Amino acid sequence: MQTVARAINWNRLDDDKDLEVWNRLTVNFWLPEKVPLSNDVQSWGTLRPAERELTIRVFTGLTLLDTVQNIVGAPSLMPDAITPHEEAVLSNIAFMEAVHARSYSSIFSTLCLTKEVDEAFRWAEENPHLQAKARLILEEYKAGADPLKRKIASVFLESFLFYSGFYLPMYWSSRAKLTNTADLIRLIIRDEAVHGYYVGYKFQRGLERVGEARRAELKDFAFSLMFELYDIEQRYTAELYDGIGLTEDVKAFLHYNANKALQNLGYEALFPAQVCEVNPAILAALSPDSENHDFFSGSGSSYVIGKAVATEDEDWDF
Amino acid sequence: MLDGLKPELDYHALNAMLNLYDADGRIRFDADRLAARQYFLQHVNQNTVFFHNLDEKLRYLVDEGYYEPEVLDQYSRNFQRAIWDAAYARKFRFPTFLGAFKYYTSYTLKTRDGQRYLERYEDRVVMVALTLARGDEALAMRFMEEMLSGRFQPATPTFLNAGKQSRGELISCFLLRIEDNMESIGRSINSALQLSKRGGGVALMLTNLREAGAPIKGIENQSSGVIPVMKLLEDSFSYANQLGARQGAGAVYLNAHHPDIMRFLDTKRENADEKIRIKTLSLGVVIPDITFELAKKNADMYLFSPHDVQKVYGVPFSEISVSEKYAEMVDDKRIKKRKINAREFFQTIAEIQFESGYPYIMFEDTVNRANPVHGRITMSNLCSEILQVNEASEFNEDLSYSHLGTDISCNLGSLNIAATMDGPDFGATVEAAIRALTAVSEMSAIDAVPSIRRGNDEAHAVGLGQMNLHGFLARERIHYGSPEGVEFTSVYFAAVAFHAIRASNLLAQEHGQTFKDFEKSKYADGTFFDKYIDRDWLPTLPDVARVFDGVTLPTRDDWARLKADVMEHGLYNRNLQAVPPTGSISYINNSTSSIHPIVSKIEIRKEGKIGRVYYPAAFMSNENLEYYRDAYEIGPDAIIDTYAAATAHVDQGLSLTLFFPSEATTRDINRAQIRAWKKGIKTIYYIRLRQTALEGTEVQGCVSCTL
Repeated sequence: MQTVARAINWNRLDDDKDLEVWNRLTVNFWLPEKVPLSNDVQSWGTLRPAERELTIRVFTGLTLLDTVQNIVGAPSLMPDAITPHEEAVLSNIAFMEAVHARSYSSIFSTLCLTKEVDEAFRWAEENPHLQAKARLILEEYKAGADPLKRKIASVFLESFLFYSGFYLPMYWSSRAKLTNTADLIRLIIRDEAVHGYYVGYKFQRGLERVGEARRAELKDFAFSLMFELYDIEQRYTAELYDGIGLTEDVKAFLHYNANKALQNLGYEALFPAQVCEVNPAILAALSPDSENHDFFSGSGSSYVIGKAVATEDEDWDF
Repeated sequence: MLDGLKPELDYHALNAMLNLYDADGRIRFDADRLAARQYFLQHVNQNTVFFHNLDEKLRYLVDEGYYEPEVLDQYSRNFQRAIWDAAYARKFRFPTFLGAFKYYTSYTLKTRDGQRYLERYEDRVVMVALTLARGDEALAMRFMEEMLSGRFQPATPTFLNAGKQSRGELISCFLLRIEDNMESIGRSINSALQLSKRGGGVALMLTNLREAGAPIKGIENQSSGVIPVMKLLEDSFSYANQLGARQGAGAVYLNAHHPDIMRFLDTKRENADEKIRIKTLSLGVVIPDITFELAKKNADMYLFSPHDVQKVYGVPFSEISVSEKYAEMVDDKRIKKRKINAREFFQTIAEIQFESGYPYIMFEDTVNRANPVHGRITMSNLCSEILQVNEASEFNEDLSYSHLGTDISCNLGSLNIAATMDGPDFGATVEAAIRALTAVSEMSAIDAVPSIRRGNDEAHAVGLGQMNLHGFLARERIHYGSPEGVEFTSVYFAAVAFHAIRASNLLAQEHGQTFKDFEKSKYADGTFFDKYIDRDWLPTLPDVARVFDGVTLPTRDDWARLKADVMEHGLYNRNLQAVPPTGSISYINNSTSSIHPIVSKIEIRKEGKIGRVYYPAAFMSNENLEYYRDAYEIGPDAIIDTYAAATAHVDQGLSLTLFFPSEATTRDINRAQIRAWKKGIKTIYYIRLRQTALEGTEVQGCVSCTL
């Protein structure tokens, strides 16, 4: 029997969320070239060597995760897609992850020396915590693995694991350092927030189709994976941030985002509010909305690709 | 999450709490006030150099080469003590964290290693007053009063630099013409470098450059057009900065009927190739009326080769009114032309504005019809509020001038509308402001760019702006853009125009001198004053009359007398008003920016030097939030109406930003542009978009993340 090739019809939607998210992702399209990173060169020079090394390492760690998500993560979700539109959205997600990975290289090539970057990539390959968390996620992405568990892993990556890295540029920008780099990271955060939300949403739809026992199993799995990841993440964070004394602050941020990841999956919070007291300067820095930047410094992170609609005669009534 | 204020939080964290609601959904203004206090306790006070008394301080600052001795030497020691005492007696306090932080980060005098502060706010104000009063004690005292009370705030370059030994220029803004030859292009790049180094925004007009593919020395397909010149300028601005204080910034303007116009716009496309992408240079398009008429008919619009136009008419393309000569140029075989669809042109502008906020727009014919002085306005500046006439220069091969033309500079300063309305004497405040701005013009001589110097010497052009309109209206419980809000704007700006002209007339009498070509202006023949003598510009609505209670407003008789004085004695300043966007100075001054609505109840401000900081709108409390609808909620129509009311009384322009939700389409932007043009708006500055977070992805409890 031959399989019938089907064309995707965006005018027949099984789930309106697909179109809503597709629209959001496409208007949010961007490339790293739009951000004038070179305006951060002077600011980069004011960081102490240890701070620079930390920053490069953090970004290398993020590059690794984005690479995983681009090459393995998002594509591995495609076969599980329930609708063709979901596949289309996932292919957009996969592409933007590649843009993100590319962006870190733009930061490196603008700010750092090749030697420093090579050293950091080596560090990333050898860092046990970074490798351990990548391994845990990759395990769930494997072909033949449980499709819903795969979604759990993906949401944890998008909504939780990235944030130990995102903390640092947000911290710098609240201190008036590397503000254009922060703009770029904020564009990435804008995307990741949608990615994590969407995959989580699809997970919840999937959950609706399975029985009680299976649901309990998945929840157990989610929480135990979260515990494992959190354990690694905690050590990873300490290794990175102990040097500049920010570990406790970053941890609060991890708790906050772990809760957010679980919320995306439809689960209750794991960490109580007291340990999620994120430094307001970081939390407030996450919102790209309606930022007022001066034209001397950068391009901001709030422009989008617009919807073109031709004017009609009535518009020209004068 | 975070209830109560934790004293151990640093001032950045406290400030950021402004952007997060408390458990009861209220904005935490208290956190910001605490942030301001902690900033002084934790940082400023510990890092300020201590002096026992004023004499010791001034001696040190002069001996160490921080203050210009020439400024202080104009005054007696007794007077110095008197003005400093008077300033400190006012007990000035910054009401917001951003105000204090911005002042200490960007304005105050620091030790050379940048580590310790040498001035408090009062010191800066007094030094600016002493500098601008040039030895006139009474005037110095007056300037100090106006500034410290917050009524008058000089623009950043003046407020930052006045009285300091190593400093940039006092002037904000420069506009340069480029003509269609290599000497002029080379000289412009040099001028852009020189002016950026001295700390001003520079705009350049590209309209006269021949298009890509135009002939050079009669050989076809030789010219590279405007894009490579833009690249050169962009790199020049990145290179030059004012003692590292801020990056150079530039804008370029191009006429809509220039053949390179679509390429010019495409430089801001999200997917533009690196070779042609323009990242930091701002773009502006000059649009004549004819373009709108062609679009109305859904016709094509012709683009004309500037090189051919210049050959046919004997003057540069910018000196031709495209609206007037359009039909003639279309029929003229000697002028090479191509066409694009006019509506598609407008749609492309809107598309690019979505992606980048650019281009600015200058409505060429509106601007020239409203221009009261002799000459033609061909371009605007980096903030699209300067609209002045200029004249082409010609060069010898060695780049010396064979004819020295004029280019444009402008010193700006703004009144805080609320403080001015509260002040004891409205007219005196405007007059003091005009005198202060004129002093900046008289004290400036930019020899590095002789055409700028000549322009300034002949015109003494100044630009008095306004800020805190929204803050004032909200405090008075008037909605921005309501009939009352629009009428207030109209009456207020008419009164400012009256006093500004009166002050300039006084200056002309004192100097026995007018600006060049005064006799060819609409002031000299009196026609400028017709609209003020034919009708009243006084309040008709009760709420507007209420807020003007106690303010003396000019009557028709006052205007008639002023007309007679001006026709007899002239004006000293060729240009008087221009309303800039007021970023930094409105934060120091505790104002809402310019005359546009707030962008958010809590504004997120990001700059290279200060990072990301949060700013509450002036006079806002948890009790009067309803009057602080933001620009996106208010929408473009009310903003255009408000600006149209002000535009009628402003001889130059106003930086008008339009705000749209990201669900808007290019058609919505085009409609707003058509409306603005119809209502007599002169220029449009940025288009800003706000994207609301997808439901489920927003940061919880965040004030600026749209509700």
